Amino acid sequence: MTAVVETEGLTKFYGARRGLEDLTLEIRPGEVFGYLGPNGAGKTTTIRLLLGVIRPTSGRATVFGADTRDPRVRARIGYLPGELALEGRERARDYLQFLADVRGGVSRGRIDDLAERLDADLSVRMGELSKGNKQKVGLIQAFMHEPELLILDEPTSGLDPLVQQEFLAMVREARTAGHTILMSSHVLAEVEHVADRVGIVRAGRLVAVEDIAALRERAVRHVELHFDAPVPKESFEGLPGVRDLVVQGASLRCTIDGRPDALIKAAARYTVVHMVSAEPDLEEIFLTYYSEEEGRHAHAGA
Amino acid sequence: MPTLVRKTLGEYRRALIGWTVGLCAFLTMYISIYASMMKDPETFSAQAIAKYPGAFRDLMGGMSDIATGRGYLHAVAYQLLGPLLFTMCAAILGNRAIAGPEEARTLELTLTLPIDRRRLLLERWAALALGLLAVALVTLALVAGASSAADMEVPFGDILAAHTGLFLLVLFFGTLTLCVGAAFGRKQVALAVTGVWGVAGYIVETMGRNLDAISWLRWVSPVHYYLDGRPLYQGWPYGDYLVLLGATAVLLMTALLAFERRDVGV
Repeated sequence: MTAVVETEGLTKFYGARRGLEDLTLEIRPGEVFGYLGPNGAGKTTTIRLLLGVIRPTSGRATVFGADTRDPRVRARIGYLPGELALEGRERARDYLQFLADVRGGVSRGRIDDLAERLDADLSVRMGELSKGNKQKVGLIQAFMHEPELLILDEPTSGLDPLVQQEFLAMVREARTAGHTILMSSHVLAEVEHVADRVGIVRAGRLVAVEDIAALRERAVRHVELHFDAPVPKESFEGLPGVRDLVVQGASLRCTIDGRPDALIKAAARYTVVHMVSAEPDLEEIFLTYYSEEEGRHAHAGA
Repeated sequence: MPTLVRKTLGEYRRALIGWTVGLCAFLTMYISIYASMMKDPETFSAQAIAKYPGAFRDLMGGMSDIATGRGYLHAVAYQLLGPLLFTMCAAILGNRAIAGPEEARTLELTLTLPIDRRRLLLERWAALALGLLAVALVTLALVAGASSAADMEVPFGDILAAHTGLFLLVLFFGTLTLCVGAAFGRKQVALAVTGVWGVAGYIVETMGRNLDAISWLRWVSPVHYYLDGRPLYQGWPYGDYLVLLGATAVLLMTALLAFERRDVGV
């Protein structure tokens, strides 16, 4: 299958300032791709290049196999800008209807359905929308024509937690429908529950592309076990993947890299009364993993 | 009507109504005092006019026949204030085509619609031209009505010729503002270019008549092609109007080319 988004050596300089350098990336049909990086790393630059809002300094980008200048491609994209600006006296519903008309129409009742799901008031004038409501209008316009490719720049900013859940459900539905999603964020936690793969961009360069499942395997977990009687520390020492081991009487605390298998088997010899395992912090593994990678590169270079 | 033209006209509606009301009020006021001024011939007698400095008279378009209906109408409506106000209207609307939405950051989403940039710009320009045409038609009707009510004795054909020139002039300046805005994405830059070219063009055209040092500059002044043919007196200066139209077309082409390759919103 051909890639939905394909870039090759995509580079953008704003004068002398580097926006993005040498990005080679492929986003496959039907996947949810999380595009991560700190603010100013080049996420929005990439997205604007893909939409033809800005022109590349060098390199190539295609969407659905066509040049990003081709306006027909954009009918198949739903886009939520990172800094969505909506102004004027026009009511949100009329603006959405205008966008829908230009894109060739949306199915009946679709706008109202989405508005209801996100609890958005569309009778408000655009200039008077609150930040959260603006984001909702932005999401509605991105999803309403059921585009084959969704490009969402920091989609969850400004949304309250309930609406965030609804948004994630909408993303999952789009994926189920076979659509492709590219969403950016500056924190992994926002995308890890829906993304299949993540790419990390830093200072204008793509530093890694990873499978979320593989990442989860490598995840760092903080585990706490409580036994019915004190346990000897020696039984748990030297287990593969176990670090920072602390045994105090009947309780044990440690950090696990990757699979918890060895620890579980060791603990099974005693009576476990209580166990706490924090949700794997992918952010942490990410940062440690890539700081190690960078360290190794630096070392190899020396 | 294409969606984008209709949408843009919708956005312009309030401003268009406001400017039309303002221009009409201005024209009505000035034309209606003509009658009372004529009752007191001293105001505009040759001696009275001669008291004004020559340069001032040049700037006001001569003022030699301001005591006649045609001269008065030309001086108040078509020489300076009419074009000035109407050009301000055109520049403000021209800025709302590209530079305004770009600075407000609303242009980004519009650009990601399945419309190519050339069509976007052309349709926004078309809306600007239609809007200005509407203002021109309403003010034309008003000038024609008010001047005949005030017994100015200017034939409609001459008013139409002058008003057409006025429309072409403001269309040029509106397109100029749109063009600079499309090329640089900055409202202030677009207004500055339009303002400087307009004001300098006016001064060069009026003072340049009697000042050889700058008279050669008159040919780059858009105002020259509007005022020089004296349409209110002599009817249609076709060649001059074609120059204005051609210059507008060149600006539009420039805007299309510049906008096509530019990064928007950075």
